[in-house]
Amino acid sequence: MRIKVLVWVGLLVVGLAASGCLGSTGPQGYSGVVSSDGILYMGSADGKVVAVSPAARAQGLSFPSSDGEWSFAIMMPSKSFFSCGSSSVAANIYSTPVAANGLICVGIYDGKVMMVSPADRARDLPFPQMRSGEWIYPRGDDVIEAIVGSAVATDDSVYVCCSDGRVYALDISYGDERWRSDPLGAKLWTTPVVDGESIYVSTFDGHIYALSVANGSRLPWSFEAESGFSSSPVLYENTIFVGSFDRNLYAVRIGSDQPLWKFAGGNWFWCSPVVEEGVVYAGCLDGKVYAIDAASGKGLWSRPFDTGSPVVASPLMVGESLVVASDSGDIYVINPTTGTGDRIRNRENDEESSIESQILAPFCEQDGIVYIRGQDNYLYSVDVARRDIKAKLSLS
Amino acid sequence: MADLWSLIVLDPMINGLLALSSLFPKAAEFGLAIIILTVVVRVASTPLVRRQLKSTKAMQEMQPRIQELQKKYGKNKQKIQQEMMKVYKEAGVNPIGCMWPMLVQFPIWIALYQSIMKSLATTPENLLDLSRHLYSSPRIAQAIPVNSQFLWLDLGQPDRTLILAILVGGTMWVQQKMTTAPSADPRQRSTSSTMLLMMPLMFGLFTTMFPSGLPLFWLVSNVIGIATQYVITGGWGYLKRPSAVSSAQPAARKRR
Repeated sequence: MRIKVLVWVGLLVVGLAASGCLGSTGPQGYSGVVSSDGILYMGSADGKVVAVSPAARAQGLSFPSSDGEWSFAIMMPSKSFFSCGSSSVAANIYSTPVAANGLICVGIYDGKVMMVSPADRARDLPFPQMRSGEWIYPRGDDVIEAIVGSAVATDDSVYVCCSDGRVYALDISYGDERWRSDPLGAKLWTTPVVDGESIYVSTFDGHIYALSVANGSRLPWSFEAESGFSSSPVLYENTIFVGSFDRNLYAVRIGSDQPLWKFAGGNWFWCSPVVEEGVVYAGCLDGKVYAIDAASGKGLWSRPFDTGSPVVASPLMVGESLVVASDSGDIYVINPTTGTGDRIRNRENDEESSIESQILAPFCEQDGIVYIRGQDNYLYSVDVARRDIKAKLSLS
Repeated sequence: MADLWSLIVLDPMINGLLALSSLFPKAAEFGLAIIILTVVVRVASTPLVRRQLKSTKAMQEMQPRIQELQKKYGKNKQKIQQEMMKVYKEAGVNPIGCMWPMLVQFPIWIALYQSIMKSLATTPENLLDLSRHLYSSPRIAQAIPVNSQFLWLDLGQPDRTLILAILVGGTMWVQQKMTTAPSADPRQRSTSSTMLLMMPLMFGLFTTMFPSGLPLFWLVSNVIGIATQYVITGGWGYLKRPSAVSSAQPAARKRR
């Protein structure tokens, strides 16, 4: 009898452990940082949208200060088959928030798109305050599939790609669905590009589709590659630059069914490249950063800049410098002409990485300071000119 | 150590699984690849399984004699141990002989499990991690990311219909029942009957929690296990012979 009881207790404990009540290995999220009107917005690792004021940080005020700072926790119903206790869990956020008409729009991995008002979140009013333009899509308990890429906001709409393979267009004022595209094959984990009357989307099954902004229908032109696309597309002078699972960076002229060029890396080009004055700067999971002539596809540096660890976050041009962060937590400031650069040193231990955390999320710059969200859920501020980590702030 | 494991075992298995999946129609590629790879691994480990089953069978056939010894020498455990070793020696059976083939198979199963989970890459972090394990090959590039749809299942998500859970639990019960000899000792009988229920229930429960790709691997593995046992032992074993103990006991008495 005693053995039976022990066996059943063991079964229960193992079951609870496996169901996630005693620990989870699910999605973690790597939302990036965006700067708007002097405030930084980002998703945190514990499911919050956080607003940080660099000015308040410079004054050493406690967080959140009344200087436009707040954090808004997003809770989602638990999906566990055998949920225990609380029926809601913190949301996962991969999408980098975007500023839209003075509000902040963010996609949630758990299948929601939210528009939040910084003023109302600072006052901690119940969400959504529709009079301030806040909304949630879909409403109520409904969800769509996971959202990984960031939303794109125009004057009247928000466009977002979803794991169900569709692009959604939502009314920017009320969050009503204006249209949803037909499924474009594989799941979409990317950020679309909106250009005039067209939306360009790269897919996991190796297509670049052009959709109509008006109704989401497919426009005549599309491009097909042999392997899937790993990164979000970037549009520059009528050419789309996008990374592929075949370890090439593709340049595709809109309207053409052949790539303008392909540039081979040592692994996937996961992050979107940066294109500046005819040069494509692309970070690769082989740990290298490449400078490629946008017109010819030729490498411009004598050798690529090697960070020694996968480059997951897109590089960022800050003034005359290219800032690159690697997965291992090292941050580099590179001369974009020569391809040489310095590693930003860790203040406490020169042997360690620049910051003691993985860097996966896109980062931004404001007044010469680069703001990076580490996977340790800290926001780091990096003085590019002084090659120095200025400060860090816990987002938990 | 982890790098060595990846280099020698895990990476070849992941790349093999993905290369295999690229051979099938996109609609069912990864489900079929899991099934084929599980079959290949099970077939490759058949000599080990055969050895394990034979040892297990021999040990079970000796149970009446062991029980006799336990009765005869009561609490003198040292004596029982000595006599048991003699019996094993006479019969030419190594008591841990049924263990080592299982131990050898263990790393293979762990690698297969890991390769399925990693290849499914259900989250962006998983997909990033997968990039570290892949060889540079057009065939593998074409397979990424895998199509997780197979029959009614999304292999990257738990099956909410309970069909897979019932199939996994049911086949596991059948497989165990085929090899578990009923004991004459009521306490042992109670324990083994609990164990017989516990494992299938536990795996049925896990099926509702883990991405379906893994339970699909368990299901295929169980079915092949049942077939292998049927062929090697020449029948349904204890699944259709619940009175095996009662028939074994008179035989033991006669020998006495």
